[in-house]
Amino acid sequence: MDVQEAVAEGTASVDNGEVKHDARKQFQMGPGDILEGKLIYDGSIRADGRVEGEVRVTGNIDVANGANIKALLEGANVTLKGQVEGAVTARDKLTLGRNARLSGDITVRRLQIDDGATLNGHVRMGDFEHQASGQ
Amino acid sequence: MSTRRPGSRLQTPTPAEPKANGSDGQQQRNSVYLGPNDRLVGQLFIEGDLRVSGKVEGQLEATGDIEIAGAGTVSGTVTAYNRLVVGGGASLIGGDVRVARLQIDDGATFSGHVSMGKAAIEASRPVMAEPAPPPAPEPEPTPVEVTPVVIDTEPAAKKGRRR
Repeated sequence: MDVQEAVAEGTASVDNGEVKHDARKQFQMGPGDILEGKLIYDGSIRADGRVEGEVRVTGNIDVANGANIKALLEGANVTLKGQVEGAVTARDKLTLGRNARLSGDITVRRLQIDDGATLNGHVRMGDFEHQASGQ
Repeated sequence: MSTRRPGSRLQTPTPAEPKANGSDGQQQRNSVYLGPNDRLVGQLFIEGDLRVSGKVEGQLEATGDIEIAGAGTVSGTVTAYNRLVVGGGASLIGGDVRVARLQIDDGATFSGHVSMGKAAIEASRPVMAEPAPPPAPEPEPTPVEVTPVVIDTEPAAKKGRRR
């Protein structure tokens, strides 16, 4: 649980529309924001509010507590604290927080589920290289 | 040289929890432990908790908690009416998992289908199945026809006895 705080710390401010590859970009949503459609993003996203569609990022996905996601998610480290409906792929690690509710199939390299989380779906660990990893 | 008892070493790490039942009676939940050298192939149903750090191939079902700890390996169906814990070095592969609560520690190997919530568990409970649907096997019409036949013969016999 303490690990996730490090991710949240990095959300400070990325105001430049275009950042160099070296700096991790952060796509930051608030609780009142809505995203519909398909997002392919070179960086990390903190998803909050409502998201519908498909989100593929090169960095991490952090779904905030109280968020309502109905989307396909793919990222390196995926941390869920809210409610998610849809397939989730974590190229490294998927973490379900104690308030997370996930219904959908998941493909991960590492998996951590905290007591209190709800999961309904199929879990696959390991080989997911056939998917477009990266972009 | 003198310590040639093969079982003496293995018994040491086993916590003798089930014996606690003797004093407390039925209040304490039953607990079964499969140690690192234990192995089970087949089905196991436990009324209580189950802890596995050995190797299991088959179906596990417990009315309480199931914990796969240490380097425990389970391949098969797992049903815990309460909670399932898969520890950091443990692995659970390939089966249907039906639990009320689920905890998977980082480092665990886990794959399979997961169903959570009360609905998922009640669907898997064969013991508590209520026999509501079978109203068909009631042969009521037959005895109704038989009864008048018996009544006809009885008065005849009684009259014969009286005379």
